Amino acid sequence: MSVGLAIAFIFCLIFARLFYVQIVWGKELVYKATDQWNREIPVIAARGVISDRNGEILAGNKTTYSVFLRPNAIENDEYASTVLGGLFSVDPAEILKKIRAGKVSEVTVARQVSKESIEKLVSYDIAGVYYSRDNTRQYTYNDALCQVLGFTSNDGLGLSGIEKFYNNMLSGTNGEICYSTDIVGVETENSVVIYSEAKAGDEIRLTIDIDIQLSVEEAMRSVYQSSNAKSVSCIVLDPQNFDILALSNYPSYNLNEVPRDDKDTLNALSRNSVVCDIYEPGSTFKVVTAAADIEEYLRGNSGAFSNTHIFNGSRTRTVDGTKIKCWSDHSNGKHSNQTLADALNNSCNPCFTDIALSLGKQTFYDYLTSFGFGNVTGLDFNGEALGMLVPQSLVRDCDLARIGFGQTVAVTGIQLACATAAAVNGGKYYTPHLLKSVVMVDGKTEEYRPVVKYNPISEKASSMLASMLEGVVKEGSGKKAYIEGYKVGGKTGTAQKYEDGHIASGKYVSSFVGFFPADKPQYLALIIVNEPEGTYYGSAVAAPVAKDIFEDIIRIKNLQPCE
Amino acid sequence: MKLFENRKRAVRPLKSKSEKSAEYTKAGDIPLLICVFLMACFGCIMIYSASSYAAEVQYGDKLYFVKKQLIGVALGTAAMIGMCFVPYKKLMKFKYPAIIIAAILLVLVFVPVIGITNYGATRWIGFGAFTLQPSEIAKYAYALFVAAYFAKNHEKVKTVKGVLPVLGVGLLFCVLIIIEPNMSITMCVGLLMLGLIFLSGTKLKTFLIILIPFAVAIPVLIILEPYRLKRLSAFIDPWASPKGEGYQLIQSLYALGNGGLFGTGLFKSTQKYRFLPFAESDFIMAIMGEELGFLGLIVFFLFCGFIIYRGFKIARRCKDRFGFLLASGFTMVYGIQVVINALVVSGAIPPTGLPLPLISSGNTSLIITMASMGVLFNVSRQD
Repeated sequence: MSVGLAIAFIFCLIFARLFYVQIVWGKELVYKATDQWNREIPVIAARGVISDRNGEILAGNKTTYSVFLRPNAIENDEYASTVLGGLFSVDPAEILKKIRAGKVSEVTVARQVSKESIEKLVSYDIAGVYYSRDNTRQYTYNDALCQVLGFTSNDGLGLSGIEKFYNNMLSGTNGEICYSTDIVGVETENSVVIYSEAKAGDEIRLTIDIDIQLSVEEAMRSVYQSSNAKSVSCIVLDPQNFDILALSNYPSYNLNEVPRDDKDTLNALSRNSVVCDIYEPGSTFKVVTAAADIEEYLRGNSGAFSNTHIFNGSRTRTVDGTKIKCWSDHSNGKHSNQTLADALNNSCNPCFTDIALSLGKQTFYDYLTSFGFGNVTGLDFNGEALGMLVPQSLVRDCDLARIGFGQTVAVTGIQLACATAAAVNGGKYYTPHLLKSVVMVDGKTEEYRPVVKYNPISEKASSMLASMLEGVVKEGSGKKAYIEGYKVGGKTGTAQKYEDGHIASGKYVSSFVGFFPADKPQYLALIIVNEPEGTYYGSAVAAPVAKDIFEDIIRIKNLQPCE
Repeated sequence: MKLFENRKRAVRPLKSKSEKSAEYTKAGDIPLLICVFLMACFGCIMIYSASSYAAEVQYGDKLYFVKKQLIGVALGTAAMIGMCFVPYKKLMKFKYPAIIIAAILLVLVFVPVIGITNYGATRWIGFGAFTLQPSEIAKYAYALFVAAYFAKNHEKVKTVKGVLPVLGVGLLFCVLIIIEPNMSITMCVGLLMLGLIFLSGTKLKTFLIILIPFAVAIPVLIILEPYRLKRLSAFIDPWASPKGEGYQLIQSLYALGNGGLFGTGLFKSTQKYRFLPFAESDFIMAIMGEELGFLGLIVFFLFCGFIIYRGFKIARRCKDRFGFLLASGFTMVYGIQVVINALVVSGAIPPTGLPLPLISSGNTSLIITMASMGVLFNVSRQD
């Protein structure tokens, strides 16, 4: 009896232990074990394409495959490595080494291989070798728009540009094939295969017009060569809504052959300079000063100058004990008896010094702010620069005097292009953008709506300024951008470059910001030529480029001349 | 203490019950034999379930282990039936030959050509295709020897000196088995030795004196072989070395956990896909727990309990000392293995390699266990 009780007691202990393991602890054990029971093969989602405003594909996908193997499931390692080596031009000895090392459960043999080679692989039917689909990005226009589009990693992750900024929308959601295997990854005979479908990424439609873009690219290449410049950049935007129609920085690189191994070169070439770098704008900035003066005059500010006011003809102004000179020597009656329109035509520095000082720190800075300086424009792009604007509390009169004609201030190309567009489009400053719409997999489209960010000047002031700038192209420094019948307006700029706080002799930034038609601007282009050799005036280097681009646009869009 | 008193009573022939048991002497314990045979058949099914996948991969034959086991069942059944007809009293004569043969076989393990080493332990001897695990035989030989010795010298049982031969042979076997090494069968022989000395009617004082060296031996054995210490620490936290020492236990627990209350269903184990090593042998209970669930294991243990219960019942009813000790000893060999195996598989004690008798793959164990059950039956038949 007692022996029986003792035995029963021992069995009860065993039951208790089994109850604990199987019932109490069971769920947690199964959770832990699930990892070893299942293997997953990722199903890569098709990456969304990037297209231009008309749906022209700029970045598409080529379907490719990744090949990998599971060393444990390989039956004949020498045969497998020889076949794989031959098919995917990999060293067979290297594969064999990896198989025999046996350290990892999965070895990647090759990535982004073609469908044909996969078909050959399938015909060999090697146990332990698998493949899965992945995407290789294919960029239709190679170099064109390269800094804007950006590129992806080998795994299809957006690393720069739009690819990075809109990566979440483009990448979609990867699916997975999950199946149960034995200990070495061989699928079991009663394996339940769970297939979760991949969800393709959305199409990103840009505001870019690829025809205009290609024309700009061509113009950039040509001026880069003819001027021997260090670099050239251009933005074309629609002043009515700040759609970016074209954006180019040259030199560029081929998106289909990204120089991934040379990091420094890649960083330099993939930088969207016109958005991410700043420069001293020089005379193109006078557009902003002129806009502030006209608006203030219309509002009845007695400190502002009327359109008929004749500026002092002296070449110099002395502010805070420093002497500010005009670029011109004012000899032989040059720059005399100038109105505001004449001052713009001649790009006469002292006149804009007068305006900045006369409007005063507070008023002038209000305009700088409402024209978007000192702040990012809000373009949908990573790494936009702020520019450099002396804080209002620290600014001295001698600084203010120089800011009036575009010195002691640094801006990005996109800031200047947007400010100019707002000055001539009727006074509306929109948030510039590259995204036009998102086209979802199910065909639904979500349009981007332009947003008015600031309203720096009135329509009247804007139209007066636009016609003055039309004059600059018609008879002033911007003559080389003149196109008969198309009312091109614009302003040139030539700024000296600073290096380590000193003027770098012989190094200039030549620029031109132009738009047409002046009475209702549809296209605005900013051209920046960085360190041209020889002739360096914006009027000579940059204005002709704008003319070429505008002529192309007229041709492409089949625009008719004004009456 | 109750157990202890009871034991004394059990030693003496129970004359009052002898008349009643007369009706058993003719028929014998047929249900026991049936139960043992069904267990062995059930073992084949479980071995098929646990090993078919691994056998296909390793040997290209799903039935590799089952075929071997079927031979074992056939031979075992023959041995069991054979032993039913051998009067157990005749076995008494074999007490010396049995331990001598067992000792020789245990030594043969270490003879290079004959001994077979697997998983770092030399536990088998081979005759061509046939392999034999001497330690399995040694357990039964030892039980036979002790029963015979105490039956003849039951007065000597009271003193330590009188028990010495039993201890001596037991320790010799233990040493031979532990250097294979095979910790679990050593434990098994050790427990069997203690159990038999206890049941033989020794004094409590004598028994306690004998217990002391055992209490000392266990920690010493663990420290002598570092792998045992590793196993011990792996047992406390198997997830500290999930790919190393803890692996076996983790996989066993995964199997049991996956089974839950009702199990995954026969042949539907996941752990048999080569995750659980020794799934068809020492850890077959984990696969049973996975496929049949907690409830299935309870039913299984009821059958084990039935065999143990019948075994001890046969022992108690036996009128002579030798039959009592022999039946108790054989029943204990079976019971101890079942209990230790269950504790190992469920992670209640550190992992050791010990088959689940009648179920695990392995013919030596199967045949001799079945044969021992035949002896039990014979004891049940005779007065």
